[in-house]
Amino acid sequence: MTIEIKKESAALVVKVAGRLDAVTAPEYEKKVNELIADGEINFVVDFEQLEYISSAGLRALLATAKRIKGKSGKILLANIKGGVKEVFDISGFGTIFPMHDSVASALSASV
Amino acid sequence: MIKIEHLSKRFGNLEVLKDVSVEIKTGEVISIIGPSGTGKSTFLRCINLLDHPSGGSIRIDGVDIMDPKSDVPKVRQKMNMVFQSFNLFFHLSVMDNLTLGPIKLLGMSQQDAERKSMDLLKLVGLAEKAESYPDELSGGQKQRVAIARCMAMDPKIILFDEPTSALDPTMVSEVLSVIRRLAKDGMTMAIVTHEMDFARDVSNRVFYMDEGVIYEEGTPEQIFDNPQKEKTKTFINRIRSFCYHITSPDYDLYAMNAEIEMFCEKQILAVKTRQNLLLLVEEMLQIFNPFLSSLLLDIVLAYSEKKEILEVVFEYTGEAVNLLDKNLLADELGLTIIQGVTESIDYRHMGNKNRLTMILKSA
Repeated sequence: MTIEIKKESAALVVKVAGRLDAVTAPEYEKKVNELIADGEINFVVDFEQLEYISSAGLRALLATAKRIKGKSGKILLANIKGGVKEVFDISGFGTIFPMHDSVASALSASV
Repeated sequence: MIKIEHLSKRFGNLEVLKDVSVEIKTGEVISIIGPSGTGKSTFLRCINLLDHPSGGSIRIDGVDIMDPKSDVPKVRQKMNMVFQSFNLFFHLSVMDNLTLGPIKLLGMSQQDAERKSMDLLKLVGLAEKAESYPDELSGGQKQRVAIARCMAMDPKIILFDEPTSALDPTMVSEVLSVIRRLAKDGMTMAIVTHEMDFARDVSNRVFYMDEGVIYEEGTPEQIFDNPQKEKTKTFINRIRSFCYHITSPDYDLYAMNAEIEMFCEKQILAVKTRQNLLLLVEEMLQIFNPFLSSLLLDIVLAYSEKKEILEVVFEYTGEAVNLLDKNLLADELGLTIIQGVTESIDYRHMGNKNRLTMILKSA
């Protein structure tokens, strides 16, 4: 898994590529927690290049989302598709997180 | 035509064939299937005395070929063999490979032998390779030459010992189609093969060999669609399987994934099936994780080509407990995903082992 961070005016775009699984989820959670600790509260997570997600990845998303909400911030997900989308659908996470077709759409919803 | 009674073969202390009794009639095409190391090839090699049986009798057209007085080379002329590794004479041209036997052993004239060989090469689609040398041919072509060479001796029966095992997948069909053609022409054949679809549609009868005996025999429909005995059922339904042992919580998820991917690739499973399988295994391991220091876990993948079903079995030691019991789970997220990618989940406690058997949803 790789994580790229890009600062936009409306939110911080976190681009996650590869696998978000039992091995990599702690790394994702640690990184986002660091960003929250630095004062960031609005996030768009871009899954354009995410190939795989398991419950461990979903739990990490949920844990960070709770923390962001606790700070009255927002986390929006963009570009969820293919096998990753199926896991969101099976698990019911598709209804928990606001999902957007593109980063641009998520950013405009963040404002 | 061939009557085999109480055939046995030992190599030192190892009893490879125990008590094989069977009759092969003229025109029959027999496929011999079964797990590796169960005596299939030894059985064929005993029939034409390449391996001398330890006991029993083999009668061909009423003649006991194990009688010390019997003329073995003459008997062998009646039944020729095609080997996995072709066994061509590499210093001879294709034509010379075919004519050598008929000229030396049958006393045929060079001209007649060449005419006949050319007809046979046409039959296997290799007339234009008559003057080539084996090294200039592909594996599939070599095997077709080997079959033509067999036919040149006018055998009453051809014994095939895994004729396609040494071939690239792309060359298997050309060899199988030649064998199919011979079957159609009424050639009597006994074929040891791992090509189940081929065995199913080319044979009149199928022998399933296991533990050194013909464990079950029947028509292809009986053996492939309705096997009666336990081991035959297991073999037919779980032809392809893979097992991964997990003995500690520090297992390497990515190393295991790589092996699972390799298994999927060999079975040519759809990408979606692979993804679902990897997800299922990871979710199960997350559930098992707190217990992995105190139990041993085997993950068995069994793909039944016939049913196009991928079965995933999690077998674990310890007291009788279904680790997917909702009351034992911290939350149901993993279980929900597992249920989402499986058709069925079955828990059983057998002996001193727990077994969770799942059928993966097909892509």
